[in-house]
Amino acid sequence: MKKQLTLIYGIVLLLTVATAILSKFSIHKIAVVSILVLSGIKFLLVAFHFMELKKANVFWKATLSIFLVLLIGIIALII
Amino acid sequence: MNKTAINYKDIFYPPGGILMWIIIFLELITFGMALVAFVYYGAEEAEVFHQSKLLLNPTIGAINTIFLLTSGLFVANAIHFYKEGNTKKTTLFFKLAMLGGLLFLLLKSFEYYTKITHGITLDTNTFFSFYWMLTGFHIIHVLIGLVLLFITERNISKNKAALEDVEATAAFWHMCDIIWLLLFPVIYLIF
Repeated sequence: MKKQLTLIYGIVLLLTVATAILSKFSIHKIAVVSILVLSGIKFLLVAFHFMELKKANVFWKATLSIFLVLLIGIIALII
Repeated sequence: MNKTAINYKDIFYPPGGILMWIIIFLELITFGMALVAFVYYGAEEAEVFHQSKLLLNPTIGAINTIFLLTSGLFVANAIHFYKEGNTKKTTLFFKLAMLGGLLFLLLKSFEYYTKITHGITLDTNTFFSFYWMLTGFHIIHVLIGLVLLFITERNISKNKAALEDVEATAAFWHMCDIIWLLLFPVIYLIF
């Protein structure tokens, strides 16, 4: 097992636990936005490290990041 | 076996290949638009969505997240071993990744079974229409990903897999993972 990948995996698992804990307070908008942001961080960690997007041209990194920011932003605005 | 180095910095050669990334973006946009619609209706029918969310089991959703993430970790490791020419470890990690996918499907089947036995179907309400459509569409992707993993693992063990094909399969599998990372919080947690 590659050390860096295992480390990223550990961080993503911790973030999953954090989102589960935050969901107990999902009645508050700040908790909902925090859940979405943490999920976005997990998304980027998997994309950049597991999918090796960090090695790709900046176009792909920027496009995926912009998509994610737009999606989370729109959802946070509607809720 | 073709393990010729690929220049990933070239805009036309992202890891997994440009065609796979076009598919990934189309899928993300499709799921993204459906999630925006889901949240829009959630704001319109706040009480229905809240009561419906309480009928879901977030622990099952969280365990399924762990299954997919662990499976993704195995595939990411498999790619590294493949590039190092370690076929034995590559196929082992592909098999472990498939096991993660199968466990995901098994748990999802249990979740679906409990919903159906409680009379919760596609026409129960707006929340569950989206729930069945979004998770069902995702499961189709997981099934396709499993087939790709199986075929690629067979090709690797027969020494006839190209690096581009192995990376494309991995990218597709990770796509299932990142789509779930968007579905899980929106469907199971925020309402």
